[in-house]
Amino acid sequence: MFRSQYDTDVTVWSPQGRLLQVEYAMEAVKQGSACLGIVGEGCVVLAALKRQPNELSGYQRKLLKIDEHMTIAVAGLNADARTLAKTMRTECLNHRYVYGAPLQGARLVLDIADKYQRCTQMYVRRPYGVGLLVACVDATGPHLYETCPSGNYNEYVAVAIGARAQSAKTYLEKHVDAFKGCGVDELCKHALKGLAGCVAGDKELDAASASLAIVSFDAAAGEAATQIIEDGDVQKYLDTVEIDAAAAQAENMAVDDAPAADAMET
Amino acid sequence: MASTGAGYDLSPTTFSPDGRIFQVEYATKAVENAGTVVGMKCKDGVVLGVEKVMLSKMLLPSSNRRVATVSAHAGVAQAGLAADGRQVVARAREECDNYEEVYGIPIPPTVLAQRLSEYVHYFTIHGALRPFGTSTMIAAYDEREKAHQLYVLEPTGVCLRYFGAALGKGRQSAKSEIEKLDLTTLTCRDALKEIAKMIYTCYDESKDKPFILEMAWLCEETKFEYQLVPQDLIDAAETWAKKELEEDDDDDDDDEMAS
Amino acid sequence: MLFAGHEPARANNVVSSSPSAPPRQHTSRPIVTGTSVLGIKYKDGVMLAADTLASYGSLAMFKDVQRISKTGSYTLVGASGEMSDYHAILRKLEGLERDNLNANDGFEHSPVEIYSYLRAVMYQARNKFNPLWNSLVVGGYKDGKAFLGSVDLRGTAYEDDVIATGFGAHLALPIMRAKWHADIDEGEARALLEDCLRVLFYRDCRALDMVVLSKATADGTLVSDPYKIETDWSSASFVVPKAGEDGDGGW
Repeated sequence: MFRSQYDTDVTVWSPQGRLLQVEYAMEAVKQGSACLGIVGEGCVVLAALKRQPNELSGYQRKLLKIDEHMTIAVAGLNADARTLAKTMRTECLNHRYVYGAPLQGARLVLDIADKYQRCTQMYVRRPYGVGLLVACVDATGPHLYETCPSGNYNEYVAVAIGARAQSAKTYLEKHVDAFKGCGVDELCKHALKGLAGCVAGDKELDAASASLAIVSFDAAAGEAATQIIEDGDVQKYLDTVEIDAAAAQAENMAVDDAPAADAMET
Repeated sequence: MASTGAGYDLSPTTFSPDGRIFQVEYATKAVENAGTVVGMKCKDGVVLGVEKVMLSKMLLPSSNRRVATVSAHAGVAQAGLAADGRQVVARAREECDNYEEVYGIPIPPTVLAQRLSEYVHYFTIHGALRPFGTSTMIAAYDEREKAHQLYVLEPTGVCLRYFGAALGKGRQSAKSEIEKLDLTTLTCRDALKEIAKMIYTCYDESKDKPFILEMAWLCEETKFEYQLVPQDLIDAAETWAKKELEEDDDDDDDDEMAS
Repeated sequence: MLFAGHEPARANNVVSSSPSAPPRQHTSRPIVTGTSVLGIKYKDGVMLAADTLASYGSLAMFKDVQRISKTGSYTLVGASGEMSDYHAILRKLEGLERDNLNANDGFEHSPVEIYSYLRAVMYQARNKFNPLWNSLVVGGYKDGKAFLGSVDLRGTAYEDDVIATGFGAHLALPIMRAKWHADIDEGEARALLEDCLRVLFYRDCRALDMVVLSKATADGTLVSDPYKIETDWSSASFVVPKAGEDGDGGW
C-alpha cells in the first residue's frame, strides 16, 4: 500500500535520516512544466513553457510579476505558487512603503525559503509542492534564485526546473561562460533555445506555449523594470532563434529525466 | 526490523521498550551524511571550516552559506539540512538581540548555547513537530571572561563545549587528527591549514561531489568579531593542504618501496 | 459559587469604555529634551551640528549628551526632543545594521532609505497616539549624492538644502537660508553652522556652547568630539539688556 511506513507524515524521519514527504513534494516540481532563468549583464531573463490543460482552455501562466524589479517563474502546483506570490508581493509593497526603495531579492527569498521550511516541520501542514525561480535586479545587481519544497534555496548563474529540465540544464551548462556579458536580446535567444529541449516529444516550442520575462535596469526610470512577453509577442523572439527541433528533441531523448534532486541536500 | 524501531520509531513522543527515542536518532543520521564540518578552539580564537557541497557548477560560490553570523561576537557553522539550520540561526539571532536589549551586554556564549539547546530540545518532545536535522557549531566570545568558546549543539538538544569537534561524513578521521594537535599553542592561522587538510583528507575527488571550503573565525586578528576568513587565506590553506597530502602519499609510496 | 461581598475584579484594559473613567493617555509631553539640530548640504556632502545638552524642564541636566549618531556607513541621524525616545530610535537603527551584518550580502541602507524608514516609524507611533517625541534630522552621502531630510513626531517628512529643528527653525534657519549657496565649501559651511550655534546659545535658554559637528561625504561619516564655541558677551544688548527701558528684553 505504502512504499514505507515513514513516508506518509512530513514530521517523520526515515531510519536513513530522510524526509520522504519532502522528497515527494520535490517530485511535484518535476511534474510541472519547465522553466529556466539566466543571469546576464545587469539583467535576468526567465523563460517558461506553458501548458494547455485541455484543448478548449487557455494556457496556464507561469510567469508572475512580483514587483517592478522582481518576477518569478513557477513549476509544480500553481495554486501553491499563488499563495507564495501573494506573500512576496505584499512584502515588496510593504518594503516600498517603509523604505521607499525596492526590497533586496536575497532577503525576500530567505523569508520565503523559511516559509517553505516551516511546513516541513509541522504535523498539520504539508510541504509546498512548487519550485520558484526568482529573477531580480536590486542594489547588489542581477540575481537568480531557486527555491524548492525542502526549504533550501540557491543562487545561480543559470538554472532550469520542471519536467524535462535536464535538457535545458545541459544546454545552460554548455553555454554558461557566454552568459556573463550577454545583454537582454542574446539572453532571450539562449533562454528560448534552452527551453526548446524541454518541450514534450510530439510538440514544438511556439508562441502560444512559450513565455519570457525580462528583468533589467531601466536607466530612464533609474530603477529596475520587468517586462513579461507572452502570447503573440513571443513570436518575434522566436523568429530570431533557429530552433533545430530535431536536435533539441535528440538532446531531449538522450538525457533521461533529471536525477532525483537532492531534497536532503545537506 | 531489528535495526529499526518496529513501530516504536514513528514519533519523537514514543520511547522504544529499551528506552530509546528513534526519531531523534534518525534525525541525527541526516547530520552524519552531511558535508564535513570541523571546529577548533585555538590559542587566539576559534576557527570553523565547512565542506560545502556544490551540486551544480552554475551555482554561485556564495550561495547557500553554511556559516552564519548571529551577532558581532558570535557565529555558527552547520552540518545537516540547510533549511533546518536556518531556523536555528534565526533563533540564535533573536536570542542575541534579546539578551543585549535587556542586559546591555553581548550574550555570554554559555547562555547562548543553553538557550539554543532549549529551543532544539523542544522539537524532540512534541508529536506535532520533528527534531532538527542539523547540528550547529557555535563560536562565540565572552566579553566579561575575555574568553572564546566553541560549542556543538546536536539534534537531541544536547549542547557541549569542546576544544575541537567534527561533524558530518568525515568526522571520525577529522576527530582523530584534531586529537594529534596541541590546541593550547596552535594559532588560528595554522588551524586554517589543519582544517583544510582534514577536510581534503576525507574528500575523494572521484567519488564525492565538488565542494567549496567555507571558513569563518573569531580571533584576536578580527578583534573577536565573527567573520568569514578572507579568501586569500583560504586559498593558501587549501594549497598547503593539497601539497601536504601529496607529500603524505609520496611518503606512503616510499614506505611501500622500502618494505 | 460567589462568596458574599465578593466584587468581581475590574477589567483594567477597558478603562475608556467606562463613562466615569478618564480616557487612556499616552505620552503627552517630553521629559528630558535636547534642543536644535542644524543640517546643511555643502559642496562635498552634508554637515550636521548640535549642542550636547539634555534639559529636564528648565534644568540643564546632562551636559555631555550625544545627539548626533552614525548609522551604517553613509548616514547621520540627529535628534531634538525627548532623549529616551531618541535612544529607542537608535536601537531600532542598530537593528537594521545588525540585519545587514548578519545577511552578509553587501547591502546597506542608503540615507534616503533610513529617512523613509524613520518616517514610517514616527508616523506609525503617532497613529497609535503614542508618538516618539523627536524632530529628527537625517544627513548622508552615498553614490555621489548628498541627502538631507527631516522627520518630526507626527511623521511629517521633508527634504531641503538647509534644515533646523527646534528653536533653530526660528533663530538659525533665516541665517542659514540667507548665507547658503549651492557650492558652499566645507570651511564656509562649518563657519555658518558655528555662527548659528552661537546665536542659539545666546538666545535659546535650553542651548549650550558645547557642540558637536558631523559630516557625511564620499569618505564616509565623521562625528567630532564635543568642543566649546567662542562667545562674545560684550555686545551692548547683553551688557545692558534692557538699555534703561523696562521693556521687552532689550532687542
